Amino acid sequence: MTIRYAACIFIFGPVPLLAEIDFNQQIRPILSDKCFKCHGPAAKNQKSKLRLDSFENAVKSHGGVVALVPGKLEDSELHWRIRSDESDEVMPPLKAKLPLSPKEKDLLDQWILEGGKYQKHWSFEPLPASVPVPRSDSSDPRNEIDHFIAHELKNSGLHPSDEANRETLLRRVTFDLTGLPPTLDELDDFLADKEANAYEKAVDRLLDSDAYAERMTAEWLDVARYADTYGYQVDRNRYVWPWRDWVIKAFRENLSYDQFVTEQIAGDLLPHATRDQILATCFNRLHSQKVEGGSVPEEFRIEYVADRVHTVGTAFLGLTFECSRCHDHKYDPITQKDYYSLSAFFNNVDESGLYSYFTGSVPTPTLELGDLPSDEGIRQAQEQLRKVENSDEANDAFAKWDGNQSGEVLELSGPVAHLSFDEFKGGKLSNSVDPKKPASSSANNKLVEGKMHQAMKLTGDDPVNLPKGVGDFNRHQPFSLALWVNPSQLLDRGVVARRSKAWTDAASRGYELLLEEGKPSFALVHFWPGNAVRIRSKKVVPLDKWTHLAVTYDGSSMAKGMELFENGVLLESEVIRDHLTREITGGGDPFLALGQRMRDRGFKNGSVDELYVYDRKLTGSEVRSLAQFDSEATKEDLFEIFLQSAYEPYLKQAIQLRKEREAFGEARQRIPEIMVMREMPGNRETHILNRGLYSDRKEVVTAETPGFLPSVDKSNPSNRLGLARWLTSPNHPLLARVTINRYWQMIFGRGLVSTSEDFGSQGKPPTHPELLDWLARDFIDSGWDLRHLFRQMVLSSTYRQGSELTRTDRDLDPENLLLSRGPAYRLPAEMVRDSALAVSGLLHRKKGGPGVKPYDLKVSFKVINPDRAPNVYCRSVYTFWKRTAPAPVMMTFDSSKRDVCMVRRERTDSPSQTLVLLNGPQFVEAARVTAHKLVDKFGKQKDDKLVAHAFRLLTSRKPEKQELKILYQLLAEQKVVFSDLSKAKEFFTHRPQLTGEFKTKTDDPTHLAAVTMLISALMNFDASISKR
Amino acid sequence: MQASPNGKTPIDIKHSSKCTGFESALGLDRRGFLQRFGGGLGGIALANMLHAETGNGLHHAAKAKRVIFLFQSGAPSQIDLFDHKPRLIKETGKELPDSIRKGQRLTGMSGNQASLPLVGSPFKFSQHGKSGHWMSDLLPETAKIADDLCIVKSMYTEAINHGPGVTFMQTGSQFPGRPSMGAWLSHGLGTMNQNLPNFVTLVTKNKGGQPLVSRLWGSGFLPGKHAGTRFRPDKDAILYLNSPKGVSSEGRRKMLDRLKDLHELQLERTGDPRLETRIAQYEMGYRMQSSIPEVTNLGKEPDSTFQLYGQDARKPGTFAANCLLARRLAEQDVRFIQLYHPGWDQHGGLPGGIRRQCKETDQASAALVTDLKARGMLEDTLVVWGGEFGRTNYCQGKFDAKNFGRDHHPRCFSIWMAGGGAKPGFSYGRTDEYSYNVAENGVHVHDFHATILHLLGIDHERLTYKYQGRHFRLTDVHGRVVKNVLV
Repeated sequence: MTIRYAACIFIFGPVPLLAEIDFNQQIRPILSDKCFKCHGPAAKNQKSKLRLDSFENAVKSHGGVVALVPGKLEDSELHWRIRSDESDEVMPPLKAKLPLSPKEKDLLDQWILEGGKYQKHWSFEPLPASVPVPRSDSSDPRNEIDHFIAHELKNSGLHPSDEANRETLLRRVTFDLTGLPPTLDELDDFLADKEANAYEKAVDRLLDSDAYAERMTAEWLDVARYADTYGYQVDRNRYVWPWRDWVIKAFRENLSYDQFVTEQIAGDLLPHATRDQILATCFNRLHSQKVEGGSVPEEFRIEYVADRVHTVGTAFLGLTFECSRCHDHKYDPITQKDYYSLSAFFNNVDESGLYSYFTGSVPTPTLELGDLPSDEGIRQAQEQLRKVENSDEANDAFAKWDGNQSGEVLELSGPVAHLSFDEFKGGKLSNSVDPKKPASSSANNKLVEGKMHQAMKLTGDDPVNLPKGVGDFNRHQPFSLALWVNPSQLLDRGVVARRSKAWTDAASRGYELLLEEGKPSFALVHFWPGNAVRIRSKKVVPLDKWTHLAVTYDGSSMAKGMELFENGVLLESEVIRDHLTREITGGGDPFLALGQRMRDRGFKNGSVDELYVYDRKLTGSEVRSLAQFDSEATKEDLFEIFLQSAYEPYLKQAIQLRKEREAFGEARQRIPEIMVMREMPGNRETHILNRGLYSDRKEVVTAETPGFLPSVDKSNPSNRLGLARWLTSPNHPLLARVTINRYWQMIFGRGLVSTSEDFGSQGKPPTHPELLDWLARDFIDSGWDLRHLFRQMVLSSTYRQGSELTRTDRDLDPENLLLSRGPAYRLPAEMVRDSALAVSGLLHRKKGGPGVKPYDLKVSFKVINPDRAPNVYCRSVYTFWKRTAPAPVMMTFDSSKRDVCMVRRERTDSPSQTLVLLNGPQFVEAARVTAHKLVDKFGKQKDDKLVAHAFRLLTSRKPEKQELKILYQLLAEQKVVFSDLSKAKEFFTHRPQLTGEFKTKTDDPTHLAAVTMLISALMNFDASISKR
Repeated sequence: MQASPNGKTPIDIKHSSKCTGFESALGLDRRGFLQRFGGGLGGIALANMLHAETGNGLHHAAKAKRVIFLFQSGAPSQIDLFDHKPRLIKETGKELPDSIRKGQRLTGMSGNQASLPLVGSPFKFSQHGKSGHWMSDLLPETAKIADDLCIVKSMYTEAINHGPGVTFMQTGSQFPGRPSMGAWLSHGLGTMNQNLPNFVTLVTKNKGGQPLVSRLWGSGFLPGKHAGTRFRPDKDAILYLNSPKGVSSEGRRKMLDRLKDLHELQLERTGDPRLETRIAQYEMGYRMQSSIPEVTNLGKEPDSTFQLYGQDARKPGTFAANCLLARRLAEQDVRFIQLYHPGWDQHGGLPGGIRRQCKETDQASAALVTDLKARGMLEDTLVVWGGEFGRTNYCQGKFDAKNFGRDHHPRCFSIWMAGGGAKPGFSYGRTDEYSYNVAENGVHVHDFHATILHLLGIDHERLTYKYQGRHFRLTDVHGRVVKNVLV
């Protein structure tokens, strides 16, 4: 087969010109890398009309010139241009700095001669329904994988390696599947098990373990860019670990992978979604979030949506959508429209681009992680209130009520504050309700002629502050505000009154009366916009005249309990938000203020007069009265006033209702919230953004999957759930391929597509395309069963091979692309640390819960105090992840930074790694503890046994004679060094910050110190920290 | 694999037969060699990219071998230091004219202010040196080296907040994820020394101010080894540098020798060339245990040094101490030395705040240039001084000519460069009479990066790294070398 042969020449160099060219393997990479930038699929923004991305385009005539004439070199402009010596003719142009190599030129020529055939890019072709398994003469086939591998090896000059010995094999598979080394007991059991299926049994035991779930989760945290802090610059802590625990549970229960993906993308949209399924969607909110003062919220909101697109692109599609954010993709057929159409799926949540600086509100939308308290008390109190209202007793009492005749109804339950703005001295404005509690203002606000006597003209930058505590209402408390306003200019936004420290910096926590495009707008807010109630008048307040505005609220946390009045008349208003579930106090400024709010637009050059604040809901006629609206109160009005201000049984019941609401609110407030996805009512328009700039909106697009991939089954909804259904449909070209490749990479160290993040035309072609497809199909047929997938891989003979290199291996296939030997490389960061903890017995197997803080956070760039024992000994999957200063030990060993979705880690060696392993408290402590245990076990006289045991404990194998000799020498030398007792004692002096939590007790520090150095050396030894 | 056939115990084999001679198609031998000497793939990357055009691994002859970037985090006010604007002083208190603001975006901090009153600098400006550079009296020592400085007054950026702004200056992108400038250089040029990291970051201690984050000196998508190493003002200047207490240098050496024996045996066993790298890394780690304490120990500097840099330089972690340490690192051929001095974010109380900042930085910055010059190192060491953006010509919050603040301003700011091929005694670019817009010869952050790379012998369009299918550059798809500032 051509592809197979192509894979070989990819590795082994010179092209045998007789072999037929394979477009996807040999030509597409050249065209893509060297030509597509100007002659690719990005038709809109390339200067040249010539496109080389398809046969139809390549053979088009451009004024008689044709790039590709199949079979005819001399007629093909492509041939002449790549061979030209003229600097203004040669392609690629010199200034592109991407010259073609002679080999690439030869390949292109050969391709033209052979007919210039194109293939659709391999990874965009639907996954075949079945993939034939090649016949091979594999010497020891255990399953289909081995046939595919043997088939490729056949003519390579390489031979499969023998099976690794059993110790090596158990160690390898235990690390691969659980991230931990085998215990000596597990090792002995395995060696003792002579049954033919001993290895299979071990694999099944490993797959069905908590450790497996944790290991799988550690890998997924990179993909999901999981962090315990928000990131960017300020980087506060956030509460997202319940999502991590959801992932662990999903792997533990072997949730099918299609469901795993579906729930994370769209669990909230599943029919009868469970709390866990909604929790899963936190996946989409794990991107970095911003709080830095002065940032433009929309800029970052757009950034969040983009991050979701990039994450879905990389994690599930293996494509780099980033490029097409600004323009059509230069290499892959992803248009800018595709990008924004995909982003529309993730754009429809009620979120803010900034989290709240002044409060701890969880950015909306959120899920409450607990059962709601009963609201029975509220319902009963409401019922009682209605009964009292409709009772004969109330009617009788009303008939006898004095107020029935009096006009002074408002005095019956007076305001809590009243500012007349008639006197302004020493920065104080008198408050007629309590002369000892005047309001205050900067002298920049001036008294002017008002509606009644004087009024105050506001700058918009200087507030009028009522005293602390006045007007600091929570959501269970009814209240009303009334005042005269006289705006002098049409404001698109102006803060008239607020109990709220700041706009975006506090997510508007509190309540507020604004003019939005001149229209009164009244809101109670926990976190704007997703947890708030807001109503807005449909009418603009006139300029340059006095208008009376009043707002009333009944304590119900619902929009229908809010009213807006203009000149005493109830305004028709629209409900902008109606979802308030948490407190509205807090965040600072616990008082009502007028005309200004931090980093918000104030009531610039507007005037205010006669402010009244009530701690109850005013009735319509009371508002009319305040507005000097000359009208008789109706009987109904008076009855309402009577109830609310004079009728004892009603008042008592109203207080009861308020108490019930308060108790409910407080109980609900205690339930933790976590960020999740929830569709907002209506549709937020998604625009193509010119060059990706948040403020440069172009045409509106709807939620659609990329046009170059198979289209969506029409029965699917056009939301995230539809997207998930599309991704997980059994013939989708990418999800299964991308997934099995990532897990192949996890087990074999390199993906069959080595660029596991890029399956596009710039990515590396697969080394074993048929195997990739076969595994993907097998995975889907198994019901997306991950354990099945891992069994297939680790039970194969290919996996079980020894990993030693021969000279032939090195010469022919140094990177082991053809898998003629087993995988070998340094363990990932988590395993390096966890295995040291495991062998020492320190490992604390706590499952789940808040991120834990190991010793190294003490010396990270942002110093964090470590936890105490036993939390410092938890597995690394639980390590608290601070984005701006990730755990330094993890970073030293090439951990992902978790800023953005990553599906592949670098593997480097550095001197810093040696210092961490030799000197880091976590490792030194583990060595001390191990030494302690071994000395306890073997005493001081059996160093030979101790050394052998230590070696096996750390490496899972028995030492060779030479190794033993080296280790005896090491021990002897260290004993001499530590015969200086002062050194040995110093070594064991307990210094919690430096040496860890464990306190050493010994009567022979010299011996123990020497043994510790022995263990430390073994912990640094390749056989401990490498997969072999 | 088995023990060596000649009967010798492998312990005696100091150099395994497998250590050499890996002539593989992929050049693993070369890679191993470079890793051993810390050069890493970067050396190969550039060598491959260049087709050995100049024979020394560069795109063209380099003027600078190393860079010391004195980053002034928080954004110093150009108006109060370098960009002298008499008209602005005259119009103090007046509203920012719409014809100047041109509706351009402001931050959310002052963007909603009802009034934007202009405020000129309250500090006295005068001209200095033959070059006649204007500077305010906040910078008396910098004024003395005026003729060594190339001042760019027309810098501009796209970010209006610190996080994106600093990230842009250090990585060429406002958003996290790209490699920092030092990491790019490490990738492109490899290392010049065998005992120290290639890229070192020094942050002034206890400064508060806008938070810095480790990704600013991170490697982004480049391999982690290209990330900057932060030296802390601590005995453990880098993570776990020192052996545990009680472990002597002799004890450590002996243990490492045995570890090496084990690794050589393991190399025999497995044939894995990575073991050679690992052995080399243990040796380098051991060398760093002495080379880093040595280079960070300022105690042996003569008194005259501290007279030059200021007595602050005796206190570890001060800006002055870091400037002195930067010189010592440069002497050891560390390629990129990145200092951070936070605290320039004067939204309020600017006159007092900026005076304090200048006191902390003026003398040591000038001393570094003077010192490098005296040692003959200024020629091939580029020193850069500047922040992430400028500050507004209008007052943030309430107007008070004595105690005002300035908001962030991306549209113009000033930086200076000295040595390393930057034209001395030269001023480049001009802002309008209000120091609000660039009037002439704007230098974008991408241009600034392109120019620095040029001085180091690199064509910014050719220093690339393929990641996620794209050839990434420090300068993205932009940037032009500002030829006028070159010697």
